[in-house]
Amino acid sequence: MSSVKIEFKNLSKRYKDVLAVSNFSAQVQSGRVTGFLGPNGAGKSTALRCLLGLVNPTGGSAAVNGGSYSQLQDPIHKVGAVLDSRGFHPGLTAKQNLKIMASASDINFSRIDEVLELVDLASAANKRTKGFSLGMKQRLSLAIAMLGDPEILILDEPANGLDPLGIVWLREFLQKLAGEGRTILVSSHQLAEMQNTVNDVLIINKGVLVAQGTIKEICKGRSLEEAFLELTLRKSA
Amino acid sequence: MSALLKSELRKLIYLRANWLLLLWSGLFAALGTVAPILVLNSDNGPGRGVFSGTETQEGINAVFANAAGGYLFALILGILIMTNEYRHGTAVGTFLVTPKRSTVLVAKLIAASLAGLVIQLFSFLFAITSGFIALTFFEPHAPVPAELLFKVLRASAISGLVLGIVGVGLGALVKNQIAAVTGAVIWTLIVEGLVVAFVESIGKYLPAGAITGLVDVDFGENDFNFSIENYLTPGPATLVLLGYAALFSLIAMRTTLRRDLD
Ligand SMILES: Nc1ncnc2c1ncn2[C@@H]1O[C@H](COP(=O)(O)OP(=O)(O)OP(=O)(O)O)[C@@H](O)[C@H]1O
Ligand SMILES: [Mg+2]
Repeated sequence: MSSVKIEFKNLSKRYKDVLAVSNFSAQVQSGRVTGFLGPNGAGKSTALRCLLGLVNPTGGSAAVNGGSYSQLQDPIHKVGAVLDSRGFHPGLTAKQNLKIMASASDINFSRIDEVLELVDLASAANKRTKGFSLGMKQRLSLAIAMLGDPEILILDEPANGLDPLGIVWLREFLQKLAGEGRTILVSSHQLAEMQNTVNDVLIINKGVLVAQGTIKEICKGRSLEEAFLELTLRKSA
Repeated sequence: MSALLKSELRKLIYLRANWLLLLWSGLFAALGTVAPILVLNSDNGPGRGVFSGTETQEGINAVFANAAGGYLFALILGILIMTNEYRHGTAVGTFLVTPKRSTVLVAKLIAASLAGLVIQLFSFLFAITSGFIALTFFEPHAPVPAELLFKVLRASAISGLVLGIVGVGLGALVKNQIAAVTGAVIWTLIVEGLVVAFVESIGKYLPAGAITGLVDVDFGENDFNFSIENYLTPGPATLVLLGYAALFSLIAMRTTLRRDLD
């Protein structure tokens, strides 16, 4: 039984002279990995930030679990997020950062070791994050996202900075989470990788939705890369 | 709210810069007690003839009143508590856990009042202890009455509580850490004095004037050339400062706190 877990309704966001997201409508189903694809500057991060209540939409709305993020009770127990910005303090250790998050929402500290284990970061738990590599930061972001054991995950380019081994690990990680019935919305540029990971695809270009469907429907026998290039180039031509 | 407050206190404890600030507040307040003891008692120092030495009650009063002098550090810590979130990008994580931004602001106001209190209690104790040690080199001196220490302690505690709160409000409004800290320090130490030079009547209602009213202990008479009567008494001064904190916080809640986060 799948249901709509995330819904964008005519979402628009204007920054001074740029229309970053334009009348964007789409749904994301539960129990599936949905790839959110689009060229640089297409509006992916902006749409996800609107969804998480970090950015105020100019028009329309974005709902998670049927309502706005800011209306959720105990949001990190329901939604986990990895964004393209640092969400943790560089002067503190990984564990200290996690403790701050955990204590703000009454999460047991035993969960901290679990999530560090989960993202393979246990050995760096007591290191200051300012010395972390890009991949380690990305893993810590994932650990923070998993802290509340959420059923919905919103990930903005989580593969960024991961080595090949890390990318394989991430793929299996996301598939396992989706297998448990969780909902995953993940943006990425790595199309070949996405082809192996996602069930559904949303493609956005210049703020506008250009395609939505299962990976089969979108690809129609082509590779995801071919389909992506055709869809985004055709629209912008 | 209690979980959020615990999380805020954890941030305070984990950051080494905060402990450094605590140490500085103590050193600064101690300078305020020790330096005048040395100056007032030096035979050919500038103090002689103008001010009373520590063998008089006025001298002792003036020296120990300075133990409340660490209040600017409480203000700075309050500013840091809020602006650290923007400076280091942790605001995103904080607001993902608690999307109601005004709730976060309230938790920070409470945390900052406690932190300001700790700063002022520590710097008070440090300054008093240093003062007593310095006095042992200049016997005999006038007694240090318990009532004096109590008045200064009260001024320290209230100023710490209140200025921590003012700092968070200011930080929420200004957001840029360096601008907020330098702005607050320059305003308090320089700008406000210039403003008051032109419009004397409003001086006691401005932030630094209210701080002076709050931390300056009234000993009845004194032989310093400024009169405590130009300032508010501690009660109204506290209210004026809380008024600034409320004003900053309310404006921030309707403006800066609502803005997009990147
Ligand atoms: N804070 C901001 N102020 C002004 N313009 C912005 C801001 N954030 C994003 N934009 C603009 O909005 C558009 C969409 O940006 P966004 O970051 O959402 O794209 P993206 O799809 O995530 O790109 P990428 O794949 O490079 O991460 C871009 O033109 C960008 O310049
Ligand atoms: Mg992006």
